[in-house]
Amino acid sequence: MTTAAANVLQYLLLVLGAPLLRALIARVKAVIQRRQGTNLWRPYADLLKLFRKEDLVPPDSSPLFRFAPMMLAASTFVAAALVPTVNQSALLAFAGDFIVLVYVLALGRFFMGLGALDGSSSFAGMGASREAMISALAEAPLLLGLIAVAILAGQGNIVEIVRWTLSQNFFDVSAVHAVAFAALAMVAIAETGRMPVDNPTTHLELTMIHEAMVLEYSGPSLALIEWAQAVKLTVVLSLLIGLFAPWGMAANLTLAGLALGLGAYLLKLVVLAIVIAVLESSIAKLRMYMVPEFLGIATALGALAVVFTALLRR
Amino acid sequence: MQLTRLFFDLHLAIPVAIPLILLPGWRSSRYRRVVPVLLFVSMFLGAATTLLSWRTGQLPIVDLSHLLPFPFVLTLDRLSSLFVFLICAVTAATTVFSVAYIERHYGTGQQAWIWTFLPLFVLSMVLVVTAASAFAFLFGWELMTVFSAALVAADGDSPERRHNLLIYLLMMHAGAAAVAASFFLFLPYTHGLTFTQIRAAGGTLPGRTAIAIYLLAFLGFSTKAGVIPLHLWLPRTHPIAPSPVSALMSGVMLKTAVYGLVRFGFDFLPHPAAWWGYLVLLAGVVSSVLGILYALAERDLKRLLAYSSVENIGIIYLGLGAALIFQAYQAPMWASLALVAALAHTVNHALFKSVLFMGAGSVSTTTHTLNLDELGGLFARMPYTGATLLVACCSIAGLPLFNGFVSEWLTFRSFLAGATLPSPVAQIILPLAAGVLALVGGLAAACFMGLFGTAFLGRPRGVAAKSAGEVPFGMCLGTGVLALACVAVGVYPALLLGPLSLVAASLIPSGNVAQELSLLPRVLPILTTCVVGILLLAMAIPRATRVTAIWACGLPTLSPRMQYTPTVFSKPLRSVFAAVYRPNRKIEVLPADQPYFPVAVSYRSERTTSFEQSLYRPAVDAIVAAANQVRRLHTGNVQMYLLYIFLTLVSLLALVKVLR
Repeated sequence: MTTAAANVLQYLLLVLGAPLLRALIARVKAVIQRRQGTNLWRPYADLLKLFRKEDLVPPDSSPLFRFAPMMLAASTFVAAALVPTVNQSALLAFAGDFIVLVYVLALGRFFMGLGALDGSSSFAGMGASREAMISALAEAPLLLGLIAVAILAGQGNIVEIVRWTLSQNFFDVSAVHAVAFAALAMVAIAETGRMPVDNPTTHLELTMIHEAMVLEYSGPSLALIEWAQAVKLTVVLSLLIGLFAPWGMAANLTLAGLALGLGAYLLKLVVLAIVIAVLESSIAKLRMYMVPEFLGIATALGALAVVFTALLRR
Repeated sequence: MQLTRLFFDLHLAIPVAIPLILLPGWRSSRYRRVVPVLLFVSMFLGAATTLLSWRTGQLPIVDLSHLLPFPFVLTLDRLSSLFVFLICAVTAATTVFSVAYIERHYGTGQQAWIWTFLPLFVLSMVLVVTAASAFAFLFGWELMTVFSAALVAADGDSPERRHNLLIYLLMMHAGAAAVAASFFLFLPYTHGLTFTQIRAAGGTLPGRTAIAIYLLAFLGFSTKAGVIPLHLWLPRTHPIAPSPVSALMSGVMLKTAVYGLVRFGFDFLPHPAAWWGYLVLLAGVVSSVLGILYALAERDLKRLLAYSSVENIGIIYLGLGAALIFQAYQAPMWASLALVAALAHTVNHALFKSVLFMGAGSVSTTTHTLNLDELGGLFARMPYTGATLLVACCSIAGLPLFNGFVSEWLTFRSFLAGATLPSPVAQIILPLAAGVLALVGGLAAACFMGLFGTAFLGRPRGVAAKSAGEVPFGMCLGTGVLALACVAVGVYPALLLGPLSLVAASLIPSGNVAQELSLLPRVLPILTTCVVGILLLAMAIPRATRVTAIWACGLPTLSPRMQYTPTVFSKPLRSVFAAVYRPNRKIEVLPADQPYFPVAVSYRSERTTSFEQSLYRPAVDAIVAAANQVRRLHTGNVQMYLLYIFLTLVSLLALVKVLR
């Protein structure tokens, strides 16, 4: 019973707290750029405002145009229930197979691409086309990196992998972990549309990828997209934390254990947010046709990680 | 037992009876109304037979050996039952679709032609998968080629079509020769070629014979399956057949090759070597990656689907290869898992590819074009067809809640298990193959997002698409049933995995995969509930909707031609994989003297790489050159010919002497 309650709480924390993480990244970037920056609670105000506005729909679109953001939100929110954050479990822990997680995220992305094409705007089509390229090329490194870690742990379930990692010696980090982390970190950047693959703050049509895709959306639909996008970023970062640095995650459901787990998790998220902000402030966006090379390197690293699992077998 | 036998006999007899009894009245419209009903009944009986014999465990046997010079036996074991059920189910749905489709597309003569050969074609496929003797198998195999070619020929005549058909027939016969040879290689070790005898001999074959048999079977079946580089006929034949026939060819006929490969690899030859598996795996990798890349560059809907069939056969081969490797390393549990994965993808591909081909038929019925660049906005104009095609696209892209995900998950899972094998090579190659599968899955998602998004969504790009309307109810019903099956398997995979685990157990007795197979049936229903629940919540958000023009950069209106076309959509991926296409691009700006104020711009991009030019053409040239050299022997002088005969005779005698 307490486990279930803890799982529900950590799920709600992830889904409801996700917009805060984006605001935090934006705030740190503002500090680096010596700007004042916006209020940390601003994303929530934006979401509320958008939810109250009317939905503008292109004249020739089909019902799928409005269905796509809902599907994106549904798949992302379900994915959030598969990842452990504070506690060594998750709401749908038994379903938390890593392949399921990857493909649940793909479900939302597929429908979002369709929604973009349904808007019949060239910019949205351009965004969908580019997003399709990036996600097609990101799939292999993502799964290869996850497979390498899963092979080491001998498990396919994310929660089980996290538990296995926690049972290992802290200083016993293998080369597989290092290489797989590099691959997955690069994929995480591409998947969540951060620099240097995509610039989430750009509004120059020709360089946009994700922003171009959702150009025609407004009102509640846009709110769902923005929210889902924030949740996705948090899910991907939580996955990285869970797989590579789960230390501190609550093993038993005492108040102290949970508090420690929560503190450790938030600390790691803040560190990641600062890293992202520093990275985004210090490097330029890649040219569109450099992105496949970026993902090619990630694929090579993922393949290397898999090869290492066999070579380093004790 | 009596009932099973009766059903099976009727199921086989009806397709034979259709042309025999009804041929005299083939010009009457009654003929065309009765045949689909009879065919449907036959398919229903076939499905009932498999279910009955599955439940009771008794095999109906049809033995016609006393009528023929060779043993001709048909039976239904677990593996055959699976394929017969698949053939019957897909054909039944296709029949429902065909009634309206064929009536709308063909004249009286062509209609009678199609309705005569369709039942025979289906029967030949049933013969192949139920055969229990080599003769029956080869008989069905040949008929399958001939009848499918007859059906392809129904769709009109032109030199190009004849050329394509010729290539089809040639390649099929070469493949059939290889399959026949592999059967005949058993002969020195058995007294006859019934499958029971072959099975008994299979375990005791000398190593080299087993290798030769396996390689010949692999070549023969891979030709049928359309594995690259033996795929040459596939993108030429499937697009030019009537759509229901394409659906059957792609959905079911290709699968008879998978059946043959499983029969040889897991039933006849029980001790595979690991490299057999690696060979199949390599063929799978090449076919799946190149297949989907070629599909991505296609603009003709049916050619795109044909290449995607090549890709999916590749995915099935990935599973089969893994299964053979596990079998070679004595890991029966994982071998069964990989085999279940391959069979599951066989079933799934049959379901969604049939929907896609029939959907293409619906599109051509109402728009009269299959050129993706001219379509658009069809979802609003044909909502039922659009919905079924959307389901099929999601399935083929391997998304969860749809059936493609189930088989791809199983394939991933079996690759992951490769890490537990004792051999370092397998430990590295099998998990890396999962990376290939992931790449293929990603590319397929991009390809089918482009297909559905540009053909069915947005605004119509041409008059044809603009005036499109929904197709008749029968056509929607045919595709709809199969699309429902895709969703049913995707949401509740136990429907498929239960029977498949029994099939695998009948081939690999010691492999118990119950635990591995139990995960998805537990996960997917709950996952679906959650997704649907959140969707309903999202739909409940109160919102006002207003229709308004899209952002046009300040222009007064945007023309539909300004939308992203399928060609442009796939452009980024095509340029990433330019090495595969080596495109020959031509951009012409008219008038040429005013490059900054063009009136018209024309753009062409053609793939210059082709196996026909780089592989088949040199081989054909070499054969022709050799033949030209040999022609010098033909002097036209009778004495010379007598000398040849004499020399041949003497050398043969000498050879026999030496060999003794």
